[in-house]
Amino acid sequence: MKLALIGVGGAGSRLADTIRGIEAEGGRQLCYGNLLTVDISRTVGGGFDHVPQEQHVTIGDTHRDVEDGVDGDQDLAVEVTRTDSPEIHRALDSITMRKLDGVLVVASLGGGTGSGAGAVLVERLQEMYDKPVYVFGVLPAADEGGRPALNAARSLRSIVPTADSTLLFDNDRWVDTDSDADAPDERYERANRELASRVVTLFARGDHDPSSIGANTLDSSDIVRTLSPGGVASVGYAATELDDGGGLLSWLRSILPGVRETETSDERTDAEKVQSLVRQSLGSQLTLPCEVSSAERVLVVLSGPPDELSRRGFESARQWLEEETETVEVLAGDDPRTGSSTIAATVLLSNVTEVPRINSLQQQAVEHERVGDTLRADGTD
Amino acid sequence: MKLATIGVGNAGSKVVDRMVEFESETNRNLCRHVHAINTARTDLAKPEYIPEEQRVLVGDTNQKSKGHGVGGDVEIGAEVMSADIDEIRRAFDDIEIHNVDAILVAAGLGGGTGSGGGPVVIDALQDMYDEPVYALGVLPGEYEGGRPALNAARSLQSFVNKVDNFIGFDNDAWRAREQTIEEGYEEMNRELAARIVTLLAAGETDDTEVAENAMDSSDIIRTLATDGVSSIGYAATAVDAQPEGLLDRWGSSGADEDPLDDASQATKIKSLVRRATNSRLTLPCEVSSAERVLVVLSGPPSEFSRKGIESARQWLEQEAETVEVLVGDDPRENSSRLAAAVLLSNVSDAPRIDTIQNQAVDAQEQIAEQQAAREDKITNLITDENDDLDPVV
Repeated sequence: MKLALIGVGGAGSRLADTIRGIEAEGGRQLCYGNLLTVDISRTVGGGFDHVPQEQHVTIGDTHRDVEDGVDGDQDLAVEVTRTDSPEIHRALDSITMRKLDGVLVVASLGGGTGSGAGAVLVERLQEMYDKPVYVFGVLPAADEGGRPALNAARSLRSIVPTADSTLLFDNDRWVDTDSDADAPDERYERANRELASRVVTLFARGDHDPSSIGANTLDSSDIVRTLSPGGVASVGYAATELDDGGGLLSWLRSILPGVRETETSDERTDAEKVQSLVRQSLGSQLTLPCEVSSAERVLVVLSGPPDELSRRGFESARQWLEEETETVEVLAGDDPRTGSSTIAATVLLSNVTEVPRINSLQQQAVEHERVGDTLRADGTD
Repeated sequence: MKLATIGVGNAGSKVVDRMVEFESETNRNLCRHVHAINTARTDLAKPEYIPEEQRVLVGDTNQKSKGHGVGGDVEIGAEVMSADIDEIRRAFDDIEIHNVDAILVAAGLGGGTGSGGGPVVIDALQDMYDEPVYALGVLPGEYEGGRPALNAARSLQSFVNKVDNFIGFDNDAWRAREQTIEEGYEEMNRELAARIVTLLAAGETDDTEVAENAMDSSDIIRTLATDGVSSIGYAATAVDAQPEGLLDRWGSSGADEDPLDDASQATKIKSLVRRATNSRLTLPCEVSSAERVLVVLSGPPSEFSRKGIESARQWLEQEAETVEVLVGDDPRENSSRLAAAVLLSNVSDAPRIDTIQNQAVDAQEQIAEQQAAREDKITNLITDENDDLDPVV
């Protein structure tokens, strides 16, 4: 799938940079260089590793309230983006949309620019193009405080109904804030890298040579169809190495205490290894933890060396997903990679409607607003 | 019989590819014209036996497909195919129709392109030519899930209404175990190709290699002219290369298969036909529900015992409860195998079709419920409990 990639805000721009970096490493292509980063600042930003300076747009530099940025003020970001939208339009003209399948907007929804400018941009892109506009949004971690939570909660209300689908990534889950081992920057960097690779794995299906075409190759139309209900989506991923001495079987036994030696005929293991991989991808590995059964459509891709992609495993994993997600709309594909030493499962849950993290974000946001109102009423703000 | 064979979608194209493979391996010449039509550029690169110039990519200028398939959506499959129908007609103009007896369209019914686009292709062919148009339809297995079942149940109606005969293949019945994804499909397609080619290639030669009881393409056309759903049974046995000699006579082949003895040769034919009829059918069905039956015996002419053919015919008349039973032979001088392909035409009792329909009804209801609740659920998700928070724009 070929998507124009648009990073909004500081964090969104860095993410776009990371995604472009993964592309540059070879193999998979997502935007084929069709990218743009947008940030609000008084000074010309940039300094990215993989985004050329001319593809970075800085807006709001003449706005009186803009300093280094909008300082978390999403309403200011909305105002600035609306005022300076001609500049964004001009920059977008450099992207040849005709050749692309859609747009992917990447933004951190806790930030002022990401949440505010991102929402305006999604609206504009929908007006401009007759193609799907997807958002990959990062939700702030709970300990980032009330303001980011408020930004994200308000932004979701604008973005989700407007975008063709909003894929979310929960920093609470992914940034290990309890760990003292690394500097915060490094932790975010790791999370960034993880998120970027999910985006690339999901959307960029690699340039096919005939030997890598599966029996059921999933194509961009399959992704478009899976995402077409709109709403919020979550992506799961799990991979396992094949060549670790004991192999999959021992790995499997280590994670599945219930698997007894006597039961592990080849047939059972085939089914079990793929199924447990898929199960694992939905467990701790979802970008946005959610009630799996609330998903409306599902897509699953199994990649690995063709002789390891067992038909039974594939079938039972698909069937298991259909039961687990309580939907008949499950598209399953294989992605044979000759010579690869890992088997990986990527699962896309589209239109998940029961997401505890969004509820808690809303509570945190409401709480923050209430405290703000009280402070203002007390005249102490 | 001489065929123009057209594969629509991924499954259909793969079946046609295997048919051409089988006929080239067995020196048959059934498919005088082949085409693969698909909406996905990647899948169109896969066939090994369909020449490059005979592959047609449709929908590459369509916004919903762009050469990347139709996402398993029958509606888009039909839409894309209809939009490009002129291109397809142009491709079909190449068919040397005076050189073929019938047209066969192969498609999978569970996906989007074959399922939705297949009937559109069939309409065009029926418009263009007077020759009968048959479908070879692959039904999705239960394990493939609710959406494919729904696609198949809807598509089956269109197919059966539009073609002169629908030959079914049930993935469920042929589901292989212990295989990789690729091998599984390949093996199923090979089995299907062997059956359809053995059956339809009978009487393909126009020259005067007259067999006593040779099958003619008009016999096949007549048996298929029921407008219904059909199924194929198949069995094959090795023919001893050197029939003479005591060892062979008492060898492992057993007295049953002694080619020198006319009585046992007759038994061999009859039991082969019986085995074929009771074999795993391409579409499992009640044999007695068939309206017409045709058997093609293919192998060295020396193996064809008239007595055997006659008793096989009688046995089938009883078994299928119809007097419309034809048994003919398809002489293959150098073949080392004797094969029987049994066509059960217009079988009205095929349990798998009922289960697909039930699965489809359930799926349709579930999809409708989800669609109806969709907007409310999304709004619910993004709205806080007391609706205190405003959208940012």
